[in-house]
Amino acid sequence: MRKGEYLGNFDLMLLLALMRLGDDAYGVTIAQELEEQTGREVVVASVYATLERLQDRGLVISRMGDSTPERGGRAKRYFRITGAGTREVRDARQSLMNLWKGLPELKGEKVCRGNNLPEWLHGC
Amino acid sequence: MSWKQPPGMATWLLKHFGSGPNNEAVLGDLGEQYQHTGDALRYWRQAIKAIPVSMVRDVRAYPHIAARALLIGWTAWILGAMAIFPLVFYETNFGFDFEPSHPFASAASFVWMPVLGRASFHGEGPWATPSAFSSAVGLPLFVATLCGWLVARLHREQQTSTVLLFAGSILLVNLLLIGPLILLVGSRVSYIFAGLLTACAAASILGILFGGGLFRGRSRTVSN
Repeated sequence: MRKGEYLGNFDLMLLLALMRLGDDAYGVTIAQELEEQTGREVVVASVYATLERLQDRGLVISRMGDSTPERGGRAKRYFRITGAGTREVRDARQSLMNLWKGLPELKGEKVCRGNNLPEWLHGC
Repeated sequence: MSWKQPPGMATWLLKHFGSGPNNEAVLGDLGEQYQHTGDALRYWRQAIKAIPVSMVRDVRAYPHIAARALLIGWTAWILGAMAIFPLVFYETNFGFDFEPSHPFASAASFVWMPVLGRASFHGEGPWATPSAFSSAVGLPLFVATLCGWLVARLHREQQTSTVLLFAGSILLVNLLLIGPLILLVGSRVSYIFAGLLTACAAASILGILFGGGLFRGRSRTVSN
């Protein structure tokens, strides 16, 4: 990975949320998914600002959906992770795993069976 | 499920001060969340936070445009202030005096000339007489409206974010000058001035937003 191309923490969480949500990923569901997993309120506008930046890097694509009365007639903007985005997530996971290995302070954490990843990282 | 009207003021603020191509989608998402949760406080929090987030997004996406807007805005503001603010010395022989050895005092006396000039030289004190109040509000409002209009006019594509950025910089300068003023003249004296200085700063910011067209209802900002 070249300098300046690392994924930030929030970038990575968003890409993982997109992978989990599949075709139903738009502002509300993404924020909801992140809030459920992290327990912290997510600013919807930050989700869009970050996804737009990731879109400029070719890691996600977006399309406009239909408008609904529930949304005051405003359209949803759906996002999907691209192949390049999936590769970035995989690389980030590998880097984190390498850094994770052998840290005595973190020994004893619950890990997912089979892949030896911490629960928070793998989401199992 | 019956339709619940989201908090109108928060919607208005985000509609007028939010920028970028995702503002409508954000409004839609907040409206949808509100239908599910009915949490007005959350709606307000999200709407208020969305304004600086969208402005920062625009500034990061177009840093040169943001820098140009600041340069144009401040140049216009300084020229406008030099031309208009000395009206406060009407009927006196006084004028603005720049002291290189006291940069903070000079900057404060320039920025707040409509307040300090009136209070110091007319012997009226800082109390909000109609005359002092009209100087403190009217002069900066006029100059700021012109500056806001100019910034908006020259940056139509990023109108909302550039106008907000300029208004934010004016607010920041006012806040930065408050500290040195308190140190210079003592907290008791600056406390007496507080009302008029606040009115002066508020008039400047409102003037920029008004001149920048942010109070007008229309679809704006086609960044991308």
